[in-house]
Amino acid sequence: MALIEFEDVSYKMPNDVMALKHVNLKVSRGELVAIVGGNGAGKTTLLKHMNGLLKPASGTVRVDGRLITEFSVAQLSKLVGLVFQNSDHQLFAESVKEEIAFGLRNFGYQPSEVESRVQYAMRRFGLESLSERAPLTLSGGEKKRLCIALVTAWDPVVLALDEPTVGQDHLNKMRLLALVKKFIEERRTVIIVSHDLEFLWPLQPRTVVMAGGRVVADGPAASIFNNFALLESSGLRQPQLARLALALQSSTPFDNVDEAVSWLKQRYGSYHV
Amino acid sequence: MVIALGRTIVEFDDFTFAYAGSPTPAVQHITFSVEEGEIAVLAGLSGSGKSTILKAINGLIPHIYPGEYSGAVRVDGLTVRDTPTYQLAKKVGFLFQNPENQIFMFTVERDIAFGLENMGYDPKVIREKTDWAMDLLNIRDLAKRSPSELSDGQKQRVAIAGSLVMDPKILVLDEPTSLLDPKTALDVVNLAKTLNRELGLTVILVEHRLELVSTIASKMIVVKDGSILLQGDPYEVLFSDGLEDAGLSLPPIVELQKKLGTKVGKPALDVEEFVKEVPKVWHS
Amino acid sequence: MAKVIYEGLKFRYKTTLIHRLDPRVKMVLSIALFALALLGSNFYQEAITFVVTTVPAVIAKSLRRLMRVVALSVTFGVFVVVINLVAGGTIVESIVLAVRFLEIVASTSLFFVTTSPDELEYVLRWLRMPRDFVFAFATSIRFVPVLLMDLTQIIDAQRSRGLELDKGGPIKRIRNLIPVLIPLIVNSLVRSGELAEAMESRGYGAVKKPTSMNTLRMTVRDWVALAIVLLGTTALIWLYLYVL
Repeated sequence: MALIEFEDVSYKMPNDVMALKHVNLKVSRGELVAIVGGNGAGKTTLLKHMNGLLKPASGTVRVDGRLITEFSVAQLSKLVGLVFQNSDHQLFAESVKEEIAFGLRNFGYQPSEVESRVQYAMRRFGLESLSERAPLTLSGGEKKRLCIALVTAWDPVVLALDEPTVGQDHLNKMRLLALVKKFIEERRTVIIVSHDLEFLWPLQPRTVVMAGGRVVADGPAASIFNNFALLESSGLRQPQLARLALALQSSTPFDNVDEAVSWLKQRYGSYHV
Repeated sequence: MVIALGRTIVEFDDFTFAYAGSPTPAVQHITFSVEEGEIAVLAGLSGSGKSTILKAINGLIPHIYPGEYSGAVRVDGLTVRDTPTYQLAKKVGFLFQNPENQIFMFTVERDIAFGLENMGYDPKVIREKTDWAMDLLNIRDLAKRSPSELSDGQKQRVAIAGSLVMDPKILVLDEPTSLLDPKTALDVVNLAKTLNRELGLTVILVEHRLELVSTIASKMIVVKDGSILLQGDPYEVLFSDGLEDAGLSLPPIVELQKKLGTKVGKPALDVEEFVKEVPKVWHS
Repeated sequence: MAKVIYEGLKFRYKTTLIHRLDPRVKMVLSIALFALALLGSNFYQEAITFVVTTVPAVIAKSLRRLMRVVALSVTFGVFVVVINLVAGGTIVESIVLAVRFLEIVASTSLFFVTTSPDELEYVLRWLRMPRDFVFAFATSIRFVPVLLMDLTQIIDAQRSRGLELDKGGPIKRIRNLIPVLIPLIVNSLVRSGELAEAMESRGYGAVKKPTSMNTLRMTVRDWVALAIVLLGTTALIWLYLYVL
């Protein structure tokens, strides 16, 4: 049984624009799914259905077999942890500790459990040295880490990240990448909404492409990322290595720079002038 | 490519600055110059001092952000420290990262006219210049629209028009693409290139994703912890060894060439260039 | 309550005769109706004023909106009646007061519904209000939709952490607003900082008397409308004083 299931879901915005049109999507336990598309494709709208913030105009959304229309946002958020794009829309507490504790208390954890989970989260995400700092004074990268930490603290079955790399510099993106890889190792179900294909490339995720509220493609990274026409028409930029593989007419994709190096050496032998 | 006209238009001379109340300087001993007509890219991690450097160009530092200021910054002959911001506003157009927070007025055309109204220009002149800027950026049809209805890309254009209308010689862009999606990001970069080519505007921009701008830049300046780590021709900078030190992401194609160790003529900065070079350099 | 304010003050773009009038004339119209409401001393006069207000509302194709605002204000109107009765007034007096209140709401709403914030700013400038004040006022209005969007996103984010805004007693509910208000306020402060930088970068304050690309200009139609309003108001005042 799919963990998250969208069945013919359509959603209309208050200004009458159809943000989702007949979307069908199934996410299984332990999967890593990337949902990509340009701005306005409907990715965030899709995400907000997963924890019940939005309810479909038609079609059904099920989380762990249950219809989202039968549960409150709080109940669903316990299962599907959403990390929003803008960290500044969430942080308000006096200290990092309190910030992490907030969600846990809302979900009804007892004080002793709250304490242990907070400690664990801080340790795990390298926030211990910042535990008494006010979240609003942290750097952009630290805030993002905190937002991810506080969501994982209540151990949601699904972790959904909305555009985690926007506004982040390279170093922070690399840290995020390492975090996501760790989540995958732990067999968590992870959904990443992003338009940053360069960032997603090393993860080689199952990729769902959205455009104009529809799912226009759904498949393994290799087939999606190498489809230049599909990406262009969906407002996305093909990662350089994928473009290179295409331009060199390589039959295999280059997962990373080293693969490209070995391909070139193999194909062209040694270097002559 | 960019044609630099040879005249220095922005000059940093051993500039060191600490924000008021801060014990350590945000930037130190910054020395570099940008020639008229160049496109200069400033790169570095968050907190490395890039924004400080940019704000020292149009006078926000020190006039809005006082602090300990030493060294000199000169813009088109004017010394920034001694020139009021409104005079600098006529020379330097500044584009901020968040398109939303630089549009004040209720309609697009009124926001574009904002700077000229502030300067007390004659209404007829304001009308002409505003129409010119809107035509240049292809947003004439948005003239009476409300900014909150616009897309991010459109908002950026409105903001750029609002700066261009003052006839600046220099356009400074502070991470213009970081909040935009890939298509819009490319549009903005191409727009900067077009403005540079057609109006001869000197462009200084801060950008993380080097592969977006490596082909349009005539100069790259890498900042780390408040100091300049590397500066020069993009080829020199991207292929030098110190780049990883600054925590920047190399465009994969550059990393590839570094690993291959090829050095034939000019190394390639993007996929197309590289693919052209491959048959010349490699054959089985 | 919030709904009243929102509905009553939000400008909707339309091209009716009223909408196209010079905003100064629209202002005079609303002030005139407002004044008539205050001058009315019996039920008939208030009723006439109310009916007269519906005329421009109909022309502006905004009658339904106006009626909705009035309907939403009825609860407060009832409140006015009760207070006045308690204070020792008669039923008739109280109803007159209530109608007067509703009429004030209607006339004010008429102005805001037909006048864009842009036009409002021009009027304030024309009235020679201090530049900084007009700018601050206009900019705040300009950012209301942006703030509302921020608010929605903040509420969504906090709900996703288990915050339930619709549960609990009054004290709990107020306490639950803290995780919503703090990010909102902080974001607004950061926004103001960015706006200040942008203002400075565009020469704000360069000149003591900034110019304006567009200026308000009265057309023949505006003068005619103004004349109608002034004459009509005078006639009604005469009517109220000497006839009814």
